[in-house]
Amino acid sequence: METRARVINTVHVVDLQGRLDAHQGKQVDQKLAEVMHSTNQTVVNMSKVHFIDSTGLSVLVKGVKHHREKNGDLVLCELQQPVRIIFELTRLERVFQIYATENEAVQAFQ
Amino acid sequence: MQNRKLRVGVVTTYPPGRGSLNEYAFHFVRALAKKQEVAEVILFVDELPAGEQYQANPVDVQPVDIKLDGLANANGTAHTSAPLHFIPCWQFNSGLNSWRILRGAQQSKPDVVIFNIQFASFGDRKIPAALGLMAPALLRLCGVPTVALLHNIMETVDLKSAGFAKSALLERLIRLIGWVITNILLRANLVAVTIPKYVEILEARYGAQNVLLAPHGSFASETLPPSFDLPQGPLQIMTFGKFGTYKRVETLVEAFHMLQMKHSTALELVIAGTNSPNAPSYLENVAKQYADVPNVRYTGYVSEEDVPTIFNEAAAVVFPYSSTTGSSGVLHQAGEYGKAVVLPQIGDLAELISEEGYTGEFFNPSDPQSLADAIDRIIDHPERRIEMGRQNYLAAHGLPLAEVVDWYLLHIESIVKN
Repeated sequence: METRARVINTVHVVDLQGRLDAHQGKQVDQKLAEVMHSTNQTVVNMSKVHFIDSTGLSVLVKGVKHHREKNGDLVLCELQQPVRIIFELTRLERVFQIYATENEAVQAFQ
Repeated sequence: MQNRKLRVGVVTTYPPGRGSLNEYAFHFVRALAKKQEVAEVILFVDELPAGEQYQANPVDVQPVDIKLDGLANANGTAHTSAPLHFIPCWQFNSGLNSWRILRGAQQSKPDVVIFNIQFASFGDRKIPAALGLMAPALLRLCGVPTVALLHNIMETVDLKSAGFAKSALLERLIRLIGWVITNILLRANLVAVTIPKYVEILEARYGAQNVLLAPHGSFASETLPPSFDLPQGPLQIMTFGKFGTYKRVETLVEAFHMLQMKHSTALELVIAGTNSPNAPSYLENVAKQYADVPNVRYTGYVSEEDVPTIFNEAAAVVFPYSSTTGSSGVLHQAGEYGKAVVLPQIGDLAELISEEGYTGEFFNPSDPQSLADAIDRIIDHPERRIEMGRQNYLAAHGLPLAEVVDWYLLHIESIVKN
C-alpha cells in the first residue's frame, strides 16, 4: 500500500492507495501515528483504496479514537463503492464523518 | 467520550460460571476493562452454585500502558484497568431473568448494557429462554441503552440437533416464536453479529436497520508465534467444547478407533470440556458406550489457566459438529495456538472460515471413515500440520479482541451521545 501525507490549510491529508488489509494495516497505522504528532485534524483520502478488511477498518478506528481523544477528528473522503459497503455493513459509516470529496472533508475542519 | 468515562454493563455468563460464551465474556470483559474510556464494568451474571463466587478483579490490576504504535493516550499517562463489579441476578431456566436484570440495571445505573448472548443463553426450556431474550428490549424501553452481541441467529440454528425441536411441527412453532423473539431482540439500540450472512438475514427478513457486523476478535494477547512443536508422548487429537447437542463425539471416537488400528504411532483422543446444559450425562454415556476404545481421555471442565496446555499439546483440533452457525470461538482459539483443524462439511462453513483466513481439513459429519481420513492427512504430514497451524495463527491474530472492543466503544459513544 502506498501512503502519502500532505497539508492543506493546517489539515493533514493522508492519501492511501491499494488494499487496506492485515498485511498493509501496520504501515497505515504508522503513517497515522506520524501525522498525529503534528495534528489532530486528519483527512484520509480513500479514493484509491479498492479493498478493506477488518484489520484495515481497525486501523482507522484506532486513528479516529486517538484523534478524538485529542479533541480532533479523523475524517474520510471519496470512498469507493466496495469499501463503502464494508463501512455500511459494520455501521462504521455512522461513527466516521465521511465526505464525498476531499475539498468538503478539508472544509469541514475550517 | 474522553470527557466522561463510561460505566458499562455486560449481561453474560462468566467464569467460574460454566454457561456458554463464558470464555468469550472473560476475554471481552478483560479487554473492555483496560480501555481508558471505561470507568467501571458491571457484570450482570448468572448465579453460581453454592460455594462458588466470582473474582472481583481477575483482570490485570497493574497499570496498563496503552501506547499503540507510538501514540500515547489522551493525558499521556498509563491507565489502570477499570474495576469489575458482579451482580449475580439471573438463573439458567428462570422465567424472571429479564425482570431481575432490569432491576439490577436500574439499581446500578450503567450508561449502556451489552448483552453477550445466543439463543439458549437464558435456558434450554423454551419459555425461560424466550423470556430472557426480551431483556435488551425491556431495558431499552426503560431508558437503558442496550447493545446485543448475538452469537447466533434462529435462522441458522439446527433446532433438532440443538435439542430444541423433536418434530417438524414443533420446529415450525419454535421458528415462529423465534421470529417473534428476534423481532423483540432487534428492539435493542444495536445488534452486533459476527458473520456477514447474519446481517443480510436480519436486514432482509426483519427489515432491521440497527444490525452491524463486528469481528469476533482473537483472545490471545501474546504476539510471538507458537513453536508448532509437540510434546513427547502420544500424538493428541483434541476436541473442545460443551457436548451433547450439535457437538457430539461418537463419530470422533469411532474415527479415532480406526486411526489406532492403522497407526503404529501412539495416539490419544482428548475430549476437553463438559456436557452441554441441554444434554446432562451425555459424555458419561459416551464413555460407557465406548469403554472398549483405549487412550480416550475425558478432561471434564477446563479452567482458564489449563486452556493453553490443552491446545498447545494437541496435534489437531477436531470440530465434531452436526450443525454449525458459522464462526466458532473454538476455531479462533485453535488459531491462536497455531493448530491444524478438522472441520465438518456443513453448509457454507468452508467458505465462511476461508473468508476469515482460516484453513482446515474437512470431513463428512456422519462418516467416521471420512473423519479418520481427514485427521490422517494432518498427523501423517507434519509439514501440512505446521503450514495449516501457521495460516490459522495468522488468521486468529488478525484482529485482537482489544481492538474489536474499540469498535463497540465507538458505537456506544454514538448511542450515548444521542
